[in-house]
This record gives sequence, C-alpha cells and structure tokens, in this order.
Amino acid sequence: MNVAKPHTPTLAEAVTERAGKLYQEHHQNIIRHTDQLFGWLMICQWFFAVCLAIWISPLTWAGKESQVHPHVWVALLLGGVLTVFPVMLAFLQPGKTSTRHVIAIGQMLMSALLIHLTGGRIETHFHVFGSLAILAFYRDWRVMVSGSAIVYIDHLMRGFFWPQSVYGESNAPIWRSLEHAGWVVFEVTFLLISIQKSLGEMFLVAQRQAMIEFSKEEIEQTVTERTADLRREINQRRQVEAEVRSSQAQLAQAQQIARLGSWEWDLAANQVWWSDETKRLYGHKPEDEGSPMEICLLRVHPDDLPRVNEIMADSLRTGKSFVCDHRVKLPDGTERVIQGRAETIFDSSGKPVKMLGTVQDITEMKKAEEALLRSEEQLRQSQKMEAVGRLAGGVAHDFNNMLTVIGGYCELTLAQLEEGSVMKRHIIEIQNATGRAGALTGQLLAFSRRQVLQPRVLNLNVVVSGMEKMLRRLIGEDIDLSIAVDESLGNVKADRGQIEQVIMNLAVNGRDAMPRGGKLTIQTANATIEKMLITRDRTLKPGDYILLMVTDNGTGMTDEVKSHLFEPFFTTKGIGKGTGLGLATCYGIVCQSGGDILVESEVDAGATFKIYLPRTEAAGQELAGSELKKLEQGDESILVVEDEPAVRILTMVILRECGYNVQEARDGVEALHILRSQPPFDLVLTDVIMPRMSGKQLCDQIKLEMPKTKVLLMSGYTDDALAQHGVLEEGLSFLEKPFSPEQLTRKLREVLDLKVEKLANCKAGSL
Amino acid sequence: MISGTTIRGAICLAWLLLVGAGFAFVLNYEKTPGQSAQAPGFWPNESAIRRDSSRPELIVFAHPQCPCTRATIEELNRLLARKEGKVNAQVWFYQPEDFTADWSYSDLWKTAAAIPGVSVMKDMGGREALRFGAQTSGTVYLYGTDGRLLFKGGITSGRGHEGENEGEETIARLLTGTRFDLRTTPVYGCSLLSCEVTGKP
Repeated sequence: MNVAKPHTPTLAEAVTERAGKLYQEHHQNIIRHTDQLFGWLMICQWFFAVCLAIWISPLTWAGKESQVHPHVWVALLLGGVLTVFPVMLAFLQPGKTSTRHVIAIGQMLMSALLIHLTGGRIETHFHVFGSLAILAFYRDWRVMVSGSAIVYIDHLMRGFFWPQSVYGESNAPIWRSLEHAGWVVFEVTFLLISIQKSLGEMFLVAQRQAMIEFSKEEIEQTVTERTADLRREINQRRQVEAEVRSSQAQLAQAQQIARLGSWEWDLAANQVWWSDETKRLYGHKPEDEGSPMEICLLRVHPDDLPRVNEIMADSLRTGKSFVCDHRVKLPDGTERVIQGRAETIFDSSGKPVKMLGTVQDITEMKKAEEALLRSEEQLRQSQKMEAVGRLAGGVAHDFNNMLTVIGGYCELTLAQLEEGSVMKRHIIEIQNATGRAGALTGQLLAFSRRQVLQPRVLNLNVVVSGMEKMLRRLIGEDIDLSIAVDESLGNVKADRGQIEQVIMNLAVNGRDAMPRGGKLTIQTANATIEKMLITRDRTLKPGDYILLMVTDNGTGMTDEVKSHLFEPFFTTKGIGKGTGLGLATCYGIVCQSGGDILVESEVDAGATFKIYLPRTEAAGQELAGSELKKLEQGDESILVVEDEPAVRILTMVILRECGYNVQEARDGVEALHILRSQPPFDLVLTDVIMPRMSGKQLCDQIKLEMPKTKVLLMSGYTDDALAQHGVLEEGLSFLEKPFSPEQLTRKLREVLDLKVEKLANCKAGSL
Repeated sequence: MISGTTIRGAICLAWLLLVGAGFAFVLNYEKTPGQSAQAPGFWPNESAIRRDSSRPELIVFAHPQCPCTRATIEELNRLLARKEGKVNAQVWFYQPEDFTADWSYSDLWKTAAAIPGVSVMKDMGGREALRFGAQTSGTVYLYGTDGRLLFKGGITSGRGHEGENEGEETIARLLTGTRFDLRTTPVYGCSLLSCEVTGKP
C-alpha cells in the first residue's frame, strides 16, 4: 500500500499561495473601504436629493393654496429607502458580496431618482457614468455587471412605460434601450479593463510582498540562526574568558604562593609587562614614574646592578638565556634575593625584539642554603670536635689513671720523707708536674665537652666576687680590673669550677690582648632573648638568660681571627705562649652548660665576650669551699672496683692506711659476685668505664639489690649512659680522676657521711 | 433553520420590491394628468383677452409657482421658436386678488416674459381661466383666426418633463396649416385655481 507523502510546497508555490492570500486581503480591504466610501456618498446623495427636490419643486399648488410637493416626499422616502439599507450594510457588513451588490443597485437607482427629480435633465445622466466609475473602485467585475444591469433594466422599463422620459419620443423602438446600454457598456468595458489591469498590478504587488515576506522570513531565520550562533559563540567566549580569568587567577595565586613572577619586555616599544607578583617582588607602586624596567633596575641592589646589566646586555647580544640571582632593595628597606631567568626572542633578521623572563623570590631558599651551609659547618665542626674529643677523652682516661697513680704515690712518698731532703723536693716537682698534667687533661676534656660536670644552682655574682682577688693577681697590676655585678641577678645551674675556669681563661685572654696594660671589665646582668639567636654553630632559644660579659680594651681581633677563635689549638700568641685550648675550653664548658658565647671585637678596639647561660628559678645551693685537710680516717667496709690494677692498688693502699676495711674487684661482674656473697659493704668505689660491666650498671644493680650500700663513681671521663648528656645527675657521687689521696679520702668521707634519707631521695630522683 | 444567506436574500428582495413600488408611485405620479379643460368651442366674447384675428391665438394658463409648468414654458419657447410669427402667444398667470403682485412675478413669469413674441398677463382671480375652463396649470388653448378652438391640453409628456410630446407636435402642425379635428392632450401640472374659485371640492 502506497502511502502518499505529504506535499511540501516549493518556494514558488508558497510564494504564489501567499501572494494569493495577500491579494485577497488587499482586495477585501479595498472593498471594505469602498463600501464605507459608498456609505458616506449615498448619505450625501440622499441629502442632496432632498435639497434638490426642495429647491426645484418645493410645493405643489392648487390656486393660492399649496402643500409639499410629492417630489420632496419622494426624495425623502424613496431616497431614504435607496440609501438606508445599502448604507447599513456598508457599515455593518462591509466587504460582503451582497453588500456591494446592494450598494451598486441602490447607487444606480439613486441616479434614476435624481434624473427624475431634475425633470430628466440630460446632465443628470452623467450621474450614471460617475456612479459606474465609482463602483469600479470595488475592482469587481460582478459589481459592474450588477450596476450596468440595473441601468439597463431601468431604461428598459421606462422605455416600455414612458418612452418620452428616456428616449424623448413616444414611439421609440425597444432596441433604443440597447443603444443606451451600449454607452454604458462602452464605459464599463474600459472600467473593466482598468479593473483587470489594477487587479493584475495588485497581484504583482502581492507577489512582491509575498517574496519580500519570504525573504524577510528567510532573513529573520538567518538572523535568528546567526543570533543563536552568536549567542552560542558569546557564551563560549564568556566561558573561555571565565576559564582564562580563572587560569589567570590561579596563575597569579600560584605565582604569589611560589613568589614567582613573570615579565615581558617589548624591546621595540620599550614597554614592559609585569605580572602582579613581579610588581610585588620589586615593590612597584602605581605612583612610581618611569618605565617599569627602569623601576626594576632601580630596585636592584647597587652592588648587584653592574652584574645584572652585564648579564642582560650579554643575553641581548648573544641570545643566550640567563639565570641571575640578585638582591633587591624594596622601598620599605627590606632586602630580598631574587632569581631572574630570561631569554631573548629575535626576529628573522636576528634583531632582538622581546625578552621573556621570570623572577622568583629565593630569599628563604638562600637563607635555607646558608643555614644548611652553617649546619654542615656545624656538623663538620662537631665531627671534628667529636674526633678530637674522642682522642682527648681516650688519652685523658689512661693519662688520668697514670697521673692518679703518680700523684698518689708521690703523696704517699712525701709523707715518708723528711722535710728539706732533696728527694722530697724532687717528689714535690713530680707532684706539681702531675697537677699541671691533670689540668691539661681537664682542659682537653673540657673543650671536647666530655668532662663530667657537677652542676649546682649558683649565682654568678658570688662566683665572680669569689674570684676577684685571684683574678687581680692573675692579670697583673698594669691592668685595671673592674667588676660590675647586677644585684638582681638570677641564678644559673652550672658547675662552679668550670665557670671559674671560663672566667679565668677569659681574663687571661684579655690580659694577653693588653700587653701594655688596659682595662678589664667583668659584668653580670639579666638578659632576655626575644628571637631565636643564631651564632656560629649554636642557636639560643628565646628566653631568660644570665649574661656574663668580659671586656677588654686591647688589640681586638680581625674577622678572620674571630671565625677561628674557639677552635682548639688555634692561638695568636706565638709558639710556646699558648696552648690554643683556653677559649676552646671556655666554649666547650659554656656550650655544655646550655649557653653560648658571643664575641664583639674590632681591631684596636678591644673585645667583649658575652656569655649567655640559661637562667634558672631554683634557689642557690652554694657549697662552701673546702680546704685541704689531712686524710680523712674511717673504718667502714669499702669495695674498690677498678679495672686498672695500678689505680686499684693505689686506692686500696690509701684507704687501708686511713683505716678502712677494703676489698677489691677487677670489674663490675666480680664486684657483684663479692657483694652478693659477703656481708654488705658500706660503700662501693667504682670506676665508670670498665670491661664487661660499667660502673653505672653496677651502681644500678647495687641500688636495686643493696640499697643501703653507697656508691662513689670515679672516672677520668665518661661517655657511658651515666653521663651521656655530659653532666652528672644531681644525687650521684662522683670523683674525678686524677685525684689525690686527700681528695679521695675527703670525697669518700663526704659520701659516707651523707644521710640515708638524702641518698634515698637521690636514688628516687636520679636513678 | 433559515440560513443567514437566505435572510439576507429575503431582505434584499423586500428592499427591491419596496424600491420598485416607490418608482412605480413616482411613475404613476408623473403620468397622472390634471383635470381636463372644459373650453368653449369658440372664443368667448365675455373674455377680456384681446384676440388678433390675423393670426391664430395661443393662450397658456399657468400658475406662477407651479414647478411642473416650467417644462410647459420651455416647450412653449421651443414651439414658438419653430413657428416664429405664425401665432400670437399669451401666457396668463393666475393672480389671486388678495395676493400682492410680487407673488405672480416669479421666475416662471420672468422666463415666459423673456420668450420673444409672448405676452405675459395677470389673470386676476382666475377669471379668464374660468371663462376658458382651464383648471390645470400648463393648459394650452389654440384658437384659429376665426375664433374656433383648434387645440386644448398640455404640451409636456409628463409632469415637469420636457421633451417631444403630442401636444406640441399637434400645435406645430396646426400652425403649418394642417387641419385636424379638435385635439385634446393631457395636462400635467398643479391645479390652477382654488376650490373656492372653481366651486369644486
């Protein structure tokens, strides 16, 4: 079964169809307008007919009596009938076919009425032709036929009933009506030709209008489509612009986060475009005058500017890309380090036209690099100190043992020699050399920060005051010693002996810097550090400190000297005049005490050493200085644990001579065995560093198994767990090697006399 | 159910009938003559109108205000132009005795007076009209030289309509010597005299 496809009209068909509609609409409008024209015309004609009747034959007479002439009534009534109905249709139903035919009939009969009212005047007959011409306004041949037919019928009827009124003679033949009709047809023919031509033109106009409409529609459709395309394009463009803005914002944000800016220099126009971050990096302000590149170069640090110009000129000349780190001095005075990267773009003729680049704030990176370098330097220094310390510690350990033996036996020997004997003087010299050797090993341990500190809460004012007499003797009369202490000075926690060593070393250092005399000032003060203070290889955290300043007005130091000041074995005093350990020892002690030393010095302007030690709020526990006494006696049971036989034997000899009940053990394991197998000892005197079991381990075990047994540790140095922080915890008893018999017995007696409660507390708090 | 077209057709038809009836009335009115003249066969001796025995005498009785009589005057003008000098023409306009003279001196009077060879006279109180038995304006009498009535009636074919008509043709022939028996034609015009004058209702 074939299904008929719906016919899609072609453009020509559509135009023709639309033209037909337009033609009909136009024609209908003309008909409506003509209807209304006739409406008004017929009203006027009616009025005219009545006036005409009144004018020509107002009255009919009978002698001297008169009345309204019948023509007036005829004009009024018949004219009314002829007028009212067509006029009513013209205004109520304009455009209808019946309306215009009724109008045509009425109009032509109105002609007949007027002819009659004028007594058949030939001139009035022109109304017929005029009416036909006006009926032609309808441009409807059917109306012309209706009108013409009425004219012919009127003439035919009159010719039949009253031929004189039409033909002017009584016996006119019937064909005379055809003669009259011929004239009407003559006019109507041309009117019809005119109508046909007019209708044709109307259709042509309608066709053009239809074509215009279709063209307009097509144009509007094109415009609509194009507008939609444009809207789409605009939306796409807006979307792209939004994405670009977003990307730019992200880029700007990324640049801000990375502190990375970009720039572009149009060399031909000498115009520079900067990103916002670039402006920020160079401190550009809107009110800045001059080209951006000039402003940029103005911001470059004067010391770096020649190098920057040279690098840029070289890039413009050679086309090489470059990386240029330079400092920038911002309007607020801050200084930043900027890394610029750029490359030059050349045209086809090799002429540079553009330079593109980025700038990045690498200040923090530079600081980090410097910090890293410092850290590396510190690490190297630490490694060096560690190596030296290990060497010094190892030497000191064995050396102290030997010095202990030498010194001990010297003292024992001296007790047996007579006064004034040569032997006694020699032994005394040996004893003095042993003391100096012990001091030297002490310094070795100090600068290597491996000596055992016994920190106590102390006030530096007390320490300094206590040293004043000794210092005056030490620096000599040529130097004026001035001590200025802060009465409100807080306490520090440090080893008094070590601090005294520091002060003494610095005083000696100042004295040596003032060969022709001068002034040495020692000051104390409270100090607060607000920000992290970084010195050579140390960092002082913010907090409260006690400041100890030693100032001289001597020769001062160069930067080079200052940079090596605290290195061990570095000295400017010449061969044989200094060991190079003094300031290194100071530095080691202070650092081991949690502080730092700052040096301010200019050549020929003296020097100031500022020692910062952490302030403590604890109350002072000043120990009264002890004077040398005779060997302390006792009868307690002592177990001496020492792996070095010479030291062990010496110690046992000294203690037995003092009345103590002494037993020996070669190491911790043996000591434990003895302790477990025998009655409790009053005290165990043990070396710290021993094979198999350290003194600290032995101490721990004793406190665990035999809490009433006291322990006294002794060591030339220690790096074991007991003093892995470099200091001995408070409560532990320690005897530093080398020791003299007097130092041994005094320390032993001191420990034995400590109350049990205190030991218990010490055990709980420290062990 | 009657459609709108049918109603419109019916209304149009009624309208046409009404118009036709109107025109029929008009036609009837135009073709309805006035009362015929009761004229004496010979020139009445008691008439004050002087008769010229050398030429036929044509007397027209007219109402000075009758619009229909204008056609009669025009036809008289045309007739006299054709038969110049062959007839003695007089137009007697009715003049009521109680009316002023201005009433008679109408446009019609002036038109008639302007026709060459026409004497225009006032018929005071319609006495001459009564003597000649004329009752309708536009009544024309033609008396021969011997005083015998040759023609009576109107010289228009309808009320107020000019143009070829039997009365004018008859007079023209009589004036050319053609002998006929008394010829009478209808007269189209207003009543010449009042009822009180004629004594008729």
